[in-house]
Amino acid sequence: MKSLIMGNEAVACGALKAGMTFFAAYPITPASEIMHELAGREPEIVFIHAEDEIASIHMVIGASLAGRKAMTSTSGPGMSLKQEGIGLAHMMEVPLVIVNVQRVGPSTGMPTLPAQGDILQAAHGSHGDYVPIVLSPSSVEECYRYTIEAFNAAEESRSPVILLLDGYIAHLQETVDLDTVSIDPKPRTLAPLGQGRRHFTGLLARDGVPQTKNTAYYREWYARVKAKMLEAAAHYRFFDYQKNSTSDALIIAYGITHRVVSPLRGSHSLFKPVRMFPVLEDEIRAAAAEHDKIIVVEMNDGQYRGEVQKVLRREVLGVSLLGGTISLKEIQERLREL
Amino acid sequence: MNYKDYINWERMPTTWCPGCAIGTIFKQTTFALAELGLAAEDMTVVSGIGCSGRAAGYFNADSVHVTHGRALPVAEGIKRANPKLKVIVFSGDGDLVGIGGNHLLHSARRDIDLAVICVNNGIYGMTGGQMAPTTPTGEKTLTSPHGTAYAPINIQGIVTSNRRHWFARASTFHIVHLQKVIREAVERPGFAFVEVMGFCIENSGRRLGFKSGHEMLTKLKTDYKLKAGPDGLLGDHELGVVKNDGQNG
Repeated sequence: MKSLIMGNEAVACGALKAGMTFFAAYPITPASEIMHELAGREPEIVFIHAEDEIASIHMVIGASLAGRKAMTSTSGPGMSLKQEGIGLAHMMEVPLVIVNVQRVGPSTGMPTLPAQGDILQAAHGSHGDYVPIVLSPSSVEECYRYTIEAFNAAEESRSPVILLLDGYIAHLQETVDLDTVSIDPKPRTLAPLGQGRRHFTGLLARDGVPQTKNTAYYREWYARVKAKMLEAAAHYRFFDYQKNSTSDALIIAYGITHRVVSPLRGSHSLFKPVRMFPVLEDEIRAAAAEHDKIIVVEMNDGQYRGEVQKVLRREVLGVSLLGGTISLKEIQERLREL
Repeated sequence: MNYKDYINWERMPTTWCPGCAIGTIFKQTTFALAELGLAAEDMTVVSGIGCSGRAAGYFNADSVHVTHGRALPVAEGIKRANPKLKVIVFSGDGDLVGIGGNHLLHSARRDIDLAVICVNNGIYGMTGGQMAPTTPTGEKTLTSPHGTAYAPINIQGIVTSNRRHWFARASTFHIVHLQKVIREAVERPGFAFVEVMGFCIENSGRRLGFKSGHEMLTKLKTDYKLKAGPDGLLGDHELGVVKNDGQNG
């Protein structure tokens, strides 16, 4: 059945479709509609309006350990507060989903205006080394689709997966038929608490026994976890590449920015990464090899451009759309200046 | 069941220093669990960071050792996700009342069915002996070299500010009472908080002039008395239970 819904509502619907039965969050613009959509659904799900952002990520960790598919949602300031919990979930290998609806920062910034400024935070926001899976949808239908995929990736990788929206996509209203999306939710991969004698800890540990001075084991552990993440991520290589053989320029854009630049497909090739991290190195290299100019258009000061440059090891141009507004006219003017 | 069944012997010995109070509290907890005959499959222990936070891994049950101050929200997530599990939180004063203080306010207010065992040694022991929110006024620590200027936090006041509440104060010296209140806390439906007066010889007591852990233990005997009457709040040096089984609201 077709219905007119917004991106945030589609995220909530996708989570329910994926089998999420536990949700804890704290209200924040522009992510609150996810909470509103899930509130009042008890006992179908456990819904907690937590005392703060830190509590909500930790409640979700506890719920996942206890056997439920669990999610939390927030925006930049809340995402900063959740970072220690995200690191804990990576260390303890706990599957869960975190939605970050990006707004203009740093700090309270421009709370009601959208941004794409938390790209690098999604990859590196917690401390230490870890390899997260980050997905970024660019339509209401994709909000639904990639929320389900985020839950599947979380189960397969046994890690916290980040769904990165921008305020535009979250508040975008589109007519969609969610029934046409068929993705099978994956079963739980972690046996729930109550098995007898397992110890989950934020310390480096082998079979539940802390290894706090064991350098050799840290290296072994990190190699295993990194390989696990990359192997799981390989099943979630989501992107869209529209080649224009008359063009020598490739525009890379994601989220709302991809939507806005899509009318340029008559004059440019377009590449949209949905899996932002781990970066789709092979796909980006293959698309870039067919073009002289590579341009990343994004609502931040070149965060993903730096990632693309790192992969391609050549100059990558950028159009940075700062301060919360975006227009095709401005993008076209800025492209001409390049 | 025997108390030994609740100890993960593969993890012994503990990291705790000779003369530390935590071992006694850990052991009395296993005695209380043995009395209740709780099966390992029906319980989970959650702890935060600090010396007391290491306790989770020493229980012979599934356990979770989380970030600093966040034992309560993790425990709440577990309990709400699977209400059949008995969820026990075992952590320190700095963890539960200092950095995790906001969660204490709200888990207590929501009356989540948790048994919280808070080892109150009045110091940040693991990090070397810094002032805690529970440090007595005037006490010298690494971060209060001229003596703490502040009054210690009133945990009893926080927990009992909710109409429905269950709060106990016990001490490492009064072990029979300690075991009794831990058992009651685990059995009671709703939020039950046990403040256990402990001590830290290594990173606090020896700087205050105590010769041994035993000397600190006997000071608890001198300082703390079981409350005589059943009514009212506990005085600063009284041990006992304060409860109201009515409804919140």
